[in-house]
Amino acid sequence: MLTFKIALRNSFRQKRRTTLTVLTMLGGFALASISIAWSDGSYAYVIDMFTRNQMGHIQLHRAGYLDRPSLYKTVDDYKTLGPALETVERVQDWAPRLYSSGLASVGEKSSGVRIIGVDPERETATTRFDKKVTEGRSFSLAPSQEALLGTGLAKTLKAKVGDEVVIVSQGADGSIANDLYRIVGLVSSGDAFGDRTALYLHLTDAQELLVLENRVHEIAVVVDGLDDLDEVAAAIQTTIQQPEVEAATWQEFARSFYVAMRADQQGSWIMLFVIILVVAVGVLNTVLMTVLERRREYGVLRAIGTGPGQVFRMVVMEVVIMAVVSMILGSVVAYIVNYQLSIEGIALPTAFTYGGVTFDRLYTIINARSFYIPAVCIILTAVVASLVPAQMAARVAPARAMRTH
Amino acid sequence: MNADNDHKVIIAEGVTKEYSDNGLPVMALRGIDLTIEQGEFAAIVGPSGSGKTTFLNVVSGLDSITEGSVRLDGKLLSTMSGRELSDYRRDRIGFIFQAYNLIPVLTVEENVEYIMLLQGIDKKERHRRVRDLLAQLGLDGMADRLPSRLSGGQQQRVAVARAIVSRPALVLADEPTANLDSKTALDLIDMMRRLNEESGVTFVFSTHDSMIMARARRLIVLKDGRIDRDEAQA
Ligand SMILES: Nc1ncnc2c1ncn2[C@@H]1O[C@H](COP(=O)(O)OP(=O)(O)OP(=O)(O)O)[C@@H](O)[C@H]1O
Ligand SMILES: [Mg+2]
Repeated sequence: MLTFKIALRNSFRQKRRTTLTVLTMLGGFALASISIAWSDGSYAYVIDMFTRNQMGHIQLHRAGYLDRPSLYKTVDDYKTLGPALETVERVQDWAPRLYSSGLASVGEKSSGVRIIGVDPERETATTRFDKKVTEGRSFSLAPSQEALLGTGLAKTLKAKVGDEVVIVSQGADGSIANDLYRIVGLVSSGDAFGDRTALYLHLTDAQELLVLENRVHEIAVVVDGLDDLDEVAAAIQTTIQQPEVEAATWQEFARSFYVAMRADQQGSWIMLFVIILVVAVGVLNTVLMTVLERRREYGVLRAIGTGPGQVFRMVVMEVVIMAVVSMILGSVVAYIVNYQLSIEGIALPTAFTYGGVTFDRLYTIINARSFYIPAVCIILTAVVASLVPAQMAARVAPARAMRTH
Repeated sequence: MNADNDHKVIIAEGVTKEYSDNGLPVMALRGIDLTIEQGEFAAIVGPSGSGKTTFLNVVSGLDSITEGSVRLDGKLLSTMSGRELSDYRRDRIGFIFQAYNLIPVLTVEENVEYIMLLQGIDKKERHRRVRDLLAQLGLDGMADRLPSRLSGGQQQRVAVARAIVSRPALVLADEPTANLDSKTALDLIDMMRRLNEESGVTFVFSTHDSMIMARARRLIVLKDGRIDRDEAQA
């Protein structure tokens, strides 16, 4: 009512000072919003890169495989497991994989390789495998002794599309596995480190080579959305009814990656804290100046019967009004910037490599968090910063305040 | 509280006020005994530093006293809490100051209305009183102006309106005419006197100006924190 009216008009009195305070809070709001949107955006983007393009959100393995991978720890009836997965809510696709290691030779050159058996159709649906083929083509749908090489590996072996590659490995039955394949394409997965050893075979070819018919080491599952993956994993676990097969979320099977991402998010909290501090100092400074300047006025208000609490509220309200204006304007600014950056992204001055994937451009994301967290922070900061000056105003001794000439 | 006190607005007994100025004691008031009756129109005069402002401040509870006692409407000031004092000033005392009187962000009407809003008087009554009073004080047409758009004399008239609108028992004014030219000052004092005569509001004001003193019906002369003379005038 009355307090509000006075506070509202007071806040437009010192135009320059109010503008400055509003700009400080607006800047703080927008910066906080952009930094959260950026952090969340990068987080989502990096996770998406890893999950959607490589690992999947959830993986199924034979119990113990993650701790100590072995050729013999296999998931045996993936052909019945797979369709069962599709009945679980939010599951979008799944892809079986077989892993082993061996030696590959092209002409004179040889190199140790990681053999990855993939189902081309499923792998494309699940992790966009076809998009990673940068030269040549992907597998024929039927197994036909074809191989795709990681770009780094192709370089090491000086191999080109059309060459033949000999692979030597060990079969699950203990025999020497040994076969000849034609290189039909090169793969750039985004994981440059992995590409130096990756050799892809059609799943059926790989099973034959390693004597693991109908068996796989891993089923990668992609899910709709990144939230509450635990619940999906638990639902999968109950659906498949196989205690020896374990469903793990990316947070579990890519633990170190997850920890690194979390650490990165802590960084944005520190940023937020610094912003809050700057805003607090700015607000405190202007409100203190204002209160000192208006001592006489508060003295008159007190003298004619205004209660100390009313004067206190008047000061806090004035700051809150400025904070609300700042937030509204800040939201507009932040929205425009966040929207622009979510489309164009920000080119990083130096590209960084995270778990083997190189990032040279990151994007913001527009979410509710990047608005309500700064809003709560700014309002709280403004209120807290105005408490001491408000108390000073409420305690003005009218007789003294009006005497100072 | 006895019936005798009913028409005594202020009773000051042996009021002493000591300030400390960087550790040195300053005696602003040295034993003031004074009674102001309902309906008086009294001027407090005296040289600069004689204690006029201090006296007005201590009798309204804006400042504490060192010794003695002050009763307002028979009530001992020293027994009132801060909140009670604040409410008492709101309901029973009107103030007019030398300068910085009005709330700069409120219009004339809102300034006059302010105390009634604090008192919770309903809108219709507030507007009726404000309208009547502004007309009576020659301020019609100024209701929506901000104080900065008024002359000094007009501002002081608004201050008078604000001081009496809530029908206080007592109006205290510390040099209300000091910032005005002599013609405007006399107009203001005449107006205060008219209100005193017509509505019976008690006025106690301080001044340096002999023309203004001449308009008072009682002259209280302070000197070095003591009452030097206290006489009635025609
Ligand atoms: N807060 C204070 N601290 C110290 N001394 C004070 C304080 N307030 C007033 N005094 C002293 O008390 C004495 C009386 O001051 P007061 O302001 O009451 O005089 P006054 O009659 O109103 O003077 P003027 O005509 O100049 O307004 C002066 O000596 C003044 O210096
Ligand atoms: Mg004085």
